[in-house]
Amino acid sequence: MKSILILILLFPLLGALFHMLLGRHCARRTVETVACGSVIASFAMALTGILNAGQQSSTIVFFQWFAVEDLVATVSLLYDPLSALMAVMVTFVSSIIHVYSAAYMRDDTDYVRYFCYLNLFVFSMLVITLADDLAFLFLGWEGVGFCSYALIGFWYGDSANATAGRKAFVLTRIGDVAFGIGLGLFYVLFKSLSISTIVANSSALAPQMATVLGLLLLWSAVGKSAQLPLAVWLPDAMAGPTPVSALIHAATMVTAGVYLLIRMFPVILLSSTVLVAITLVGAVTALFASCSALGQTDIKRVLAYSTISQVGYMFLAVGAGDIIGSMSYLLSHAFFKSLLFLAAGCIIQALHEEHDIHLMGERVRRHLPAVCWVFLAGALSLGALPPSGGFLNKDRVLLAMFTHPGEIYRVLWGVTMATSFLTTLYTFRLFFLVFTGGRGEATAPPPQSIPGLMVWILWPLAILSLFAGFINLPPVWSGKELLAHYLATVPGSVVHLEATSSLEWFIAASDGSLAVIALALAYFLYGPGRTPIRLHRGELRERLQAILLHAFYLDWLYRKTIADPYRSLARFLWMKVDEGIVDAGMVGYGKAFDTFSAGLRIATTGRLSTYLRMLLLGFTVIICTLAIGLYGGW
Amino acid sequence: MVSYGEVLILAGMLFLMGAVCAVAQRNLIMILIGVEIMLNAAGIALVGASLRWNALDGQAFVLFIMAFAAAEVAVGLALIVFAQRRTGSVNADRYSVLKG
Repeated sequence: MKSILILILLFPLLGALFHMLLGRHCARRTVETVACGSVIASFAMALTGILNAGQQSSTIVFFQWFAVEDLVATVSLLYDPLSALMAVMVTFVSSIIHVYSAAYMRDDTDYVRYFCYLNLFVFSMLVITLADDLAFLFLGWEGVGFCSYALIGFWYGDSANATAGRKAFVLTRIGDVAFGIGLGLFYVLFKSLSISTIVANSSALAPQMATVLGLLLLWSAVGKSAQLPLAVWLPDAMAGPTPVSALIHAATMVTAGVYLLIRMFPVILLSSTVLVAITLVGAVTALFASCSALGQTDIKRVLAYSTISQVGYMFLAVGAGDIIGSMSYLLSHAFFKSLLFLAAGCIIQALHEEHDIHLMGERVRRHLPAVCWVFLAGALSLGALPPSGGFLNKDRVLLAMFTHPGEIYRVLWGVTMATSFLTTLYTFRLFFLVFTGGRGEATAPPPQSIPGLMVWILWPLAILSLFAGFINLPPVWSGKELLAHYLATVPGSVVHLEATSSLEWFIAASDGSLAVIALALAYFLYGPGRTPIRLHRGELRERLQAILLHAFYLDWLYRKTIADPYRSLARFLWMKVDEGIVDAGMVGYGKAFDTFSAGLRIATTGRLSTYLRMLLLGFTVIICTLAIGLYGGW
Repeated sequence: MVSYGEVLILAGMLFLMGAVCAVAQRNLIMILIGVEIMLNAAGIALVGASLRWNALDGQAFVLFIMAFAAAEVAVGLALIVFAQRRTGSVNADRYSVLKG
């Protein structure tokens, strides 16, 4: 078991090292093979591990990393059903995306750097998934942040991409500050950084400390998972290559925050304040992002806001106390969101880097019919249409919210239902505009052909996103809730939500019917051959459209209140203080010497007569002083 | 007999005149002449001192001074001749290469 686990981590790391050191000297095929092979090997190891481990959880310590007085950080792994499942998902999705990338980046000359960072990212994500020691987890946490920055700004020749990468890094860093503080606090309270120890002793925690710790964990998760108020980096992160968006900003990094909360759930469970806070963050973010997704015109930005919204759902589930529901939603989201992103990548490449959905349409469906079908599969799951995986998982989340004893949860359940409606609406707006719209036909250049690999590799994801939900089918529909039972040993989990079967039917029916109504509305507004209905001509509509497009101007607000004053302060300190005072002071100090020398230089005329006079004068002064001294002084 | 004080006054005035000549003149040879006069003024003071204290050391030292002055003038004039050949002038103002 130990060797299997270390191989899961080691394969991607060795792949990254290979690319770093030898990639430049190897053929392209070799580089691609090593990259994909290392992740596929890691997936094979993860599968072996999950099949061998059953439901037991084990803590395996490899070696000591550093020790400062009492604080000891070790490289140690916690392998329980949760981490096993997450590892399988991460490696599976990464394998598909690596193979897809080999085809997607076929024309790019920087492929070595790309695959190096991609492998390094998979390694860091697996560290987060498997780590037991919080310091080791933080290593992976920072690693994914760095790889995300490097991959978003992959095409750094265009400075806008580099700026987007920086923005992502800085905003996730703001969250990481809370993680660092939490790390220290965990050590002070538990004298250990091991997750298994902390979770086992969590009941000894005072409620106020639990609140503080929970809020710190929430803030760090908010940064990594792009929730409000730190959500603004994710839409800009779409500047990176599409496979990167699929891997990092759909399936893995943004779910790392949720994963952390699920891992540390027994600590969070002790404080109802934190649970309500998590639910609020999730609900508000989901609503905000769904509205914004409705107003976007760039296909990747719609999917980005959709990711923010869906991760909000995962936060909701954690806040409602149902971490198994959150985890299963995480899994199905990974499948359908990465599928949607990869399909979008196919479309973008086929249309010569066209991102505007209003300029796509019928021609896409004619040129790429297979992509249309897989995209439909993903859209059905995202829009939570019965009986797709997305629907079943969202159903569980909504049930958890509805059955929660707190009153605020009912209110937020209503908000979440509205968000579900909007989710289906924007999903099918996207689908209809991309595949059945009419514009952009005449003037656009003909679509180019893309490698078949990029299309048929999406089919496993499509099948999983539609049907993977069935492994967690609740008994109401004669299912066995296999996933929930598998994860039953995870601390803090609730296997079966207590609800009468009529309540379950009510939730399912209301959610399902909302989804169908939204689908119908989207067909009515954006369907084939429809011209968009002008609800209200003129200023109000334009204003509303602008608000949605700019995501309620949140980005503008941050720029005006934080970024611009900081930049002005930096410019002031640079020009006025650093150059004006410090530099000028140094230069002026030199100039003072120069002036002093110039003053002295008047005496060095170079003329013999001057020197003779000075000689005589000096000699006279000396003799007079001697004479006066000799004859009794003054 | 002359008192030592009057001898010293004579030597002093002669020294001063030599100094003024050395300092105020532009011509290199005039500077040398001024130096000569200063040397001789010192010699007079030494002879007066030897008369006052009835010691022959002063007069012996004057002989040394005269020999030394001759040697110095020889070297100085040689330098001036050479310098004149190089720069074409015996004006002290011409030699201002060391001007800062």
